[in-house]
Amino acid sequence: MIDPVQLYCWHFMSYPHLPADFDEKYDSGWVTVPNKLWDKEKSRGLLNQYVDQLAYADELGFDGMVLNEHHQNIYGLMPAPNIIAAALTQKTKRGKIVVLGNLLPLHGNPLRVAEEYAMLDNMSDGRIVAGFAAGSGPETFNYNSSSAKSRDQFWEAVELIRRAWTEDGPFAFEGKHYPLRYVNPWPQPTQRPHPEIWIPGARSRDTLTQIAKNGYCYFLSSRSHGKGTGQSMQRFAEVLKAHGDVYLPKRMGILMSTYVGETDKIAQEESREGIWYFLRNCLKGHQRRVGRQLTFGPGVPYIPPAEFRAYLANTDPTTPLLGDTQDWDDLQTSQSIIVGSPDTVYKRFMSVLEHAPVGHLLIQFHMGNMSDECARKSQRLFWSEVAPRLKEATGKRFNELFGADQQKQMQKQMEAAK
Amino acid sequence: MSTAVIEKTNLKLIDVNGRSVSYLEKGTGAPTVYLHGFADVHGVAGDLLPFHDKLAGAVRLIIPAHPGCSGTPDLSDGYDIEDAVFHYLEVFDALGLKEFNLIGHSIGGWIAAEIAVRHPERVKKLGLIGACGLFISGELIADIFMHTQPERGVDYATMRNMLFSSNEAALAQRYYPNGRGDLDEETRRYEIIRFASFVGFKPPYLYNRSLINRLHRAKMPAAVVWGEKDHFVPRSHGEAYAAGLSGAGKLKVIAGAGHAAQFENADAVAEVMLELLKA
Repeated sequence: MIDPVQLYCWHFMSYPHLPADFDEKYDSGWVTVPNKLWDKEKSRGLLNQYVDQLAYADELGFDGMVLNEHHQNIYGLMPAPNIIAAALTQKTKRGKIVVLGNLLPLHGNPLRVAEEYAMLDNMSDGRIVAGFAAGSGPETFNYNSSSAKSRDQFWEAVELIRRAWTEDGPFAFEGKHYPLRYVNPWPQPTQRPHPEIWIPGARSRDTLTQIAKNGYCYFLSSRSHGKGTGQSMQRFAEVLKAHGDVYLPKRMGILMSTYVGETDKIAQEESREGIWYFLRNCLKGHQRRVGRQLTFGPGVPYIPPAEFRAYLANTDPTTPLLGDTQDWDDLQTSQSIIVGSPDTVYKRFMSVLEHAPVGHLLIQFHMGNMSDECARKSQRLFWSEVAPRLKEATGKRFNELFGADQQKQMQKQMEAAK
Repeated sequence: MSTAVIEKTNLKLIDVNGRSVSYLEKGTGAPTVYLHGFADVHGVAGDLLPFHDKLAGAVRLIIPAHPGCSGTPDLSDGYDIEDAVFHYLEVFDALGLKEFNLIGHSIGGWIAAEIAVRHPERVKKLGLIGACGLFISGELIADIFMHTQPERGVDYATMRNMLFSSNEAALAQRYYPNGRGDLDEETRRYEIIRFASFVGFKPPYLYNRSLINRLHRAKMPAAVVWGEKDHFVPRSHGEAYAAGLSGAGKLKVIAGAGHAAQFENADAVAEVMLELLKA
């Protein structure tokens, strides 16, 4: 049997106390946003409130909680997600703790990441999902790690960590970026052969190939889920096939954002402020045309020139980004932030899963300056009224679509074991 | 790089230990290598500029494209300035250049200086125009990486101001227009920024802390030229080069020109360089 869709609660931990005229006065929420705006008094207890929202998702029954690493911005106050993960190992008992991910080129020595994930895996009794990412544009400015070198550094670091968890130490790692004479980390992770590894990717076929051939899980880096999401899934399925593997929903995840209220109208009223705070402020400098967007482009030249040329040929620099969303209608069409009654949210989530049957839905509930009460209510309604229907529908559909593939794969594995 | 682009710009190719390096060549006489910057030749224009034509009237001018630019392959996935310098030594060997004059602009000026302090016996004369490469406390080279990200997705005003005398300057508008530009030009702009990210994305960017203390080794005749309105590399860097290179006279400041002084005032910069080359 194939598992139904796995549902996770994702938190960015955005800064909620910006002045009302932030958008007028400041040109970015990233890298250069002045930290004098941090209000020490109002911010007391803020990180703990966010941690508790994640723990609440675990209490409700979510399959896991998702953390992420961002630096020097108002979008995500989690420069060290492993610290939040450590808190969750103590506050929760059941769900997976997905760190998506540690930004490897920003860490001086990836061995430290192998050690921290191993500690977390022990402290959570094998609940860690180890995400690795290279970091997007703003992060290369924050830590001044050359984006031209970042892909190469990234894959070398992933290899080092995987080997540190699976090969008997001590061994010498002959890395170009991270040469080490003695790789021999203690403790070792609880999970065998190692915690599941998730890696974000967008356009690059190279990335998909690395993910496919190493048995990792592909997290699609996109906030909008129109036709492109299904196409990405198909492309990943082709790459898997080319490597003698087969696509199963558990190999892929996407990020969605939602607010669930009793009715469409209540949902819109309760989420309006938080959503527009998120779009206008948190996405400024990242996913918004106004100001200087640092996430992708010539200033963060991590892709080879031929790939960039193809990107130029196929895109229009004036196309609005998510943060440029004008109104509710506009938001509806982007399939990114889904707001409504349980029935509306169920149907719209299912419409994404219909064309892109992915096994992991990572769901952002808290947006911008949303209140604790609203964030928890939305999580609760989602879990009690949307999740059961999603589980039932996807349990059926995934087995229809992929049941035979999975059986074939299991037979193959059994034969290989003989 | 498509064949069509190579034909259009008269690029030549030379095999350098298995790497096919693109270069332009014009003129006869003393071999003179020009190492390009952001807003010229392989950085933007894709071909010789009036400044280079003037030099080519007096010497044999050779203009290789940096690794990753105009068809010259990247060196490796993680190369740095030392690799780029060694790459050029191999290029000179492949071209059969034992001794030569060396002129560099911007990031190319940095590489020229690195080569001159390592092999002063090979570099007969050294010309620097708005050269990066030095670390001078409190005098930061501007953030070309951040400013090459256009505002509102389309506006390159701050980039134009950085590389030229002003945002409004005609050449600035021609080579960094707002909006999506010519695909070849945009690709070249990307390639040179990517090269810079490999060799110099360490703040305050595009320098080697050791270089300033090595300048005394380069005793050949030299000239250091700076645009009066260089908003990219502070003029104090030019003064430090002029002071550190014993063969250089005083820093020559080109009135009205920006960072790419040889671009905006080809006559004035060519005059300085031709005087150096003919001396």
